[in-house]
Amino acid sequence: MKNLLKKELSELFNPQMLMGLLVSFILIVMLGFVMTSSVSESLEATGEVHIIDMDQTGFTQQITDYLEEQGYTVKKISENSGNPENPAYETILKEQNWKEAVVLPSGLMDQLLFEHTSCELHAVRVLETTSTVSVMETGESSAELVRDAISGLLMKNLIGESMAYLENPVSFASYTIANGKTVRANSFSLVSSMAMFDQLMPLILFMLIILTSQTIITAIGSEKTDKTLETLLSSPMPRSVILGAKMLSSLIVAVVYAAVYGIGFATSLLFTVDKTAENVNIGEAFSEILSTKQAMQTLGLQISGIGWVGVILQLILTIGIALVVSTILGGFVEDAKGSQTASLPIVILTMFPYILSMVSDIRNMDLPVRILLYLIPFTHTFTATGCLRFGQTGIFFGGLLYQAVFLAGMIFFALKLYQSDILFVHSLGKKSAKSKLIKR
Amino acid sequence: MTTALAVQHLAKSYGKKNAVRDVSFQIQEGEIFGLMGMNGAGKTTILRMLATLLKPDSGDALIAGHSIVQHPEEVRACISYLPDEAGAYKTMTGKNYLAFIAGLYFKSEQEQKECAALGEQICGLGDALSQKINTYSRGMTRKLVLARTVMTKPKLAILDEPTSGLDVLNSLDIRRTIRRCAEEYGTAFLLSSHHMQEVYTTADRGAIMKDGEFLAEGTPQELLEQYGAETLEEAFEKAVKSA
Repeated sequence: MKNLLKKELSELFNPQMLMGLLVSFILIVMLGFVMTSSVSESLEATGEVHIIDMDQTGFTQQITDYLEEQGYTVKKISENSGNPENPAYETILKEQNWKEAVVLPSGLMDQLLFEHTSCELHAVRVLETTSTVSVMETGESSAELVRDAISGLLMKNLIGESMAYLENPVSFASYTIANGKTVRANSFSLVSSMAMFDQLMPLILFMLIILTSQTIITAIGSEKTDKTLETLLSSPMPRSVILGAKMLSSLIVAVVYAAVYGIGFATSLLFTVDKTAENVNIGEAFSEILSTKQAMQTLGLQISGIGWVGVILQLILTIGIALVVSTILGGFVEDAKGSQTASLPIVILTMFPYILSMVSDIRNMDLPVRILLYLIPFTHTFTATGCLRFGQTGIFFGGLLYQAVFLAGMIFFALKLYQSDILFVHSLGKKSAKSKLIKR
Repeated sequence: MTTALAVQHLAKSYGKKNAVRDVSFQIQEGEIFGLMGMNGAGKTTILRMLATLLKPDSGDALIAGHSIVQHPEEVRACISYLPDEAGAYKTMTGKNYLAFIAGLYFKSEQEQKECAALGEQICGLGDALSQKINTYSRGMTRKLVLARTVMTKPKLAILDEPTSGLDVLNSLDIRRTIRRCAEEYGTAFLLSSHHMQEVYTTADRGAIMKDGEFLAEGTPQELLEQYGAETLEEAFEKAVKSA
């Protein structure tokens, strides 16, 4: 039993496994570090209530005091001017560096305390990302906290008033700010409609990268096991042709997969967007109803034709990079068994930016973290639509250029590798190809 | 007789380990040369260098007049390499595999067809050629890959342990095929083997290797005489132990 256990463990705890374990550990630590920093920032933000006070009465002061008693930090600015039909909230929030705020309109105290009529407040939110997790992580918004505060104050001041009124004394009109423009629209609804593409596309891309990577590495691993690679490489066929055919075939497989996923996805997207346009009335308390499409057009969140061409080009470059890097890694695989270990770097370099793009906004992270992430060529694809929607075209096209240069470099390296004897001397296996050669 | 292969002071090391040290020999057209040696003697390293898969640290080899160092592309057009325990693409039929390999060596369809037809004839697998390779036995696969090695009528066929793991009858078939191709097409063969009997019955000349060096070289009869042995196994043992 002891011998058997020792044998089983020695087979399981091999250098590849330990290397995978180490890399995974580093990945988890790094991911945790970045996530913690991101969550800390949002936690700091959730403790704050931002108020634009246009009423400037004792009642609005009571709201502030009430919230502060509850443990919130209230940041309030007083505004006297402003066109209620076309409020310049983008300027105010930009000056204050706020991501969201609630507007207490002029006449609030009169309406609530003396006229006993429901009052309409404006809930304003800056939209910088299409990550639903990122948008939702701000937690309880200032608007909800202010509503609770007003409700609490009215219960103290208006004894005998109906509970229905006291519980919901205010209604909200949502305003969304993006690209320096403000529109009466609910940011969550906008994000939901964009998330269909901006979050599912990276998911599909993530799967495609992993799939094509494993396909090509396994194919090369099998060729090494069967020694068919040696047959090919000792034939008169130029090695660039052999390499090109190998990558092209994997690309075709990937494109077929992408087409199948894409058609299915597009069908579901069209259906959902139509439904959204029919059913969602953005700007809950307004008679004016904007469709998602209108709101996105006004905010400049729609991607132009050139932008889409860029996105498609970036997808092709991304899959190309995955293919070439996999071909290089495949060259170091000793046999088919080593394929999974060899694909680990691709998995990590894809998973890392993918997860981060889902839960956070990479484009607004700290500079060192951003630089580190942008060095990974796949990151640019995951942030592509966000860059285009939020006016960061420089980052988008810079990423596109970086990917093209990266791909060219990798192709050059792959050609050099397959023309050298490194393929037969070095491997990622338990026993190197070199040691195997020496044995014979 | 034309020289098919001329190896000149070939050497290769892996780190501190000298796998091949200053090896020189020649093989003539239609000649079969056997490399004999224990594991780690350097046989496969020599074969892989000649197949242009590994680059020598020093020395060179001319195959049909082309240098493996200077002109590996030209060399690849003159050689055919059969690695140890080489397989074939399992999802292909035998016929398709031979046609695929012919496509790697010839551009014109006519030449490809003739080459593949020769391969079909050499392997002698008959109707089984229409079946997928994953249904083949080890012996059948070996016959198929040997056929693809020689059907291109290379100047030099490099065979690493061609009968390794095969039963007696299949081994005999393989040896006869090698002999026949050498005689009919003038192909020179360089083969490595652990089986002294294989070298004795198949090769015209051979060399005994140890630690990357040639200990002895000659016809089987010359090797027997050199070591005063009755069999090649005995000659091999004496050569290796006295080195």
